[in-house]
Amino acid sequence: MRNTLAIARKELRVYLTTPWAWVVFTAMGFISSMFFLDLLLKFRDVHEAVRKSHGGWANAPEDYQAFRSLTEGVVVSLWSTVLIVTLFVAPFLSMRLFAEERRQKTFELLMTTPTRPIEIVLGKYLGAVAIICCTLGVTIIFPVMLTSLGPHSLEWSTVLLGYGALLLWGATNMAIGMFVSSLTESQMVAALVSFTIAIAWMLIRFVAPHADEPARSVLSYLSFDVQLQNMLKGVLDLKPIVFFSSVIALFVLLTHRSIEANRWT
Amino acid sequence: MAMIEVEQLTRRYRDRVAIDALTFTIAQGEIVGFLGPNGAGKSTTMKIITGFMPATSGRVKVGGFDVFEQPLQAKQQVGYLPETPPLYPELTVREYLKFVCELKAVKQASVEIDRVTRVTGLSPDLDRLCGTLSKGYKQRVGIAQALLGDPALLILDEPTEGLDPRQRKDVLDLVKSLAGQHTVVLSTHILAEVKAICERVLIIHRGTIVANDTMAALTQGRETGLEDTFIRLTAD
Repeated sequence: MRNTLAIARKELRVYLTTPWAWVVFTAMGFISSMFFLDLLLKFRDVHEAVRKSHGGWANAPEDYQAFRSLTEGVVVSLWSTVLIVTLFVAPFLSMRLFAEERRQKTFELLMTTPTRPIEIVLGKYLGAVAIICCTLGVTIIFPVMLTSLGPHSLEWSTVLLGYGALLLWGATNMAIGMFVSSLTESQMVAALVSFTIAIAWMLIRFVAPHADEPARSVLSYLSFDVQLQNMLKGVLDLKPIVFFSSVIALFVLLTHRSIEANRWT
Repeated sequence: MAMIEVEQLTRRYRDRVAIDALTFTIAQGEIVGFLGPNGAGKSTTMKIITGFMPATSGRVKVGGFDVFEQPLQAKQQVGYLPETPPLYPELTVREYLKFVCELKAVKQASVEIDRVTRVTGLSPDLDRLCGTLSKGYKQRVGIAQALLGDPALLILDEPTEGLDPRQRKDVLDLVKSLAGQHTVVLSTHILAEVKAICERVLIIHRGTIVANDTMAALTQGRETGLEDTFIRLTAD
């Protein structure tokens, strides 16, 4: 346990001294602020349109309904977008986890000190989760800004549950990325492969409706945004938590197997 | 007491045999030179003894602990400098040594860091980033890292590689000063270094041991004795 924390701390320190992490933070902040602004403007336009129209919200078109509340119209939509942004940026953070240790030959240091391989994997993963939390932490500023409109402008339980879904998704991406990184010495290969896996996962949603049963049910069950839908909307749902925790556990174990297997080749 | 016991150690990479049924023991307190041409299997043997790599067959005990069955206890006895010093370029020397102390569960880390940096002459450079150090300094940090926790066994894979003559002498003096309390296994290409500090020499060629004797027996009292023996034994 002590070694796990030591490795996690080292990981975080190294991340924060490399430009990569800062580039990713900036990208996350920039892209999500664009979407945030866009959503705010849309929110304003919709409210204006509804006010001018006769009949108010009851007669407003269906796609206006989501914008009735600030929480659903802006924050929930923003979280759905950040979900996709995470998918793009996580590979850039996870790529170095093991690939870089191998390239720098520091992996030999970790493996020849009295440290269990599972402690190394857990330490790395903990560091990885910490850095993705920092990355996603940038986006919490948007709902905080909205509270300046008044203390009751947002339903914080919905906002935070959605944010929890984001963190869960980020942690899952890092577990997959860590496993891919343990297979190669090249960071670029690691990033590309993790990215491909994440994109394929995202595309399942589009394939699912065209498939026949029972494949359709299986595919839509596996689709990550279907899994996260409830949590994003503020409904506490154990199913996605169990689902993503299982995926994380699977990839952490696969990483452990992979670094053990690597010693044999 | 034997510090390292190696028995019938074999390692294959697919079809290629890197080391073939090596058997030797190294006693506590000995300084042993581990010689051989490039590709003879020196690094492979060291990687197996330190527990980095498993063997295809055979047994290794370090300080009485089996490296494969009791890896943690065995690794606690060993300080290892691999061929390339395992440094994180983003950390300062101090941060790096502190991290290694944590991995090795060294108590009173700052006292221990003080000690090894004094011995390796790194005290003024503690706050420099590892990535900005010259090759010689990187090597010193690698040695400092191996010395942390005062391990009973030091395994040094080409510790003087890339050092200038002055630094080379410092490192050799350092290794020599460890004699008695520490067991040192030193791999190098430079026979003069081995002659200067080692009491015993193991020569490995194509994965098998071709010589395992005291320095006196191998040089037979002649100035070029070790070179002659080495060339004769490793000739194809």
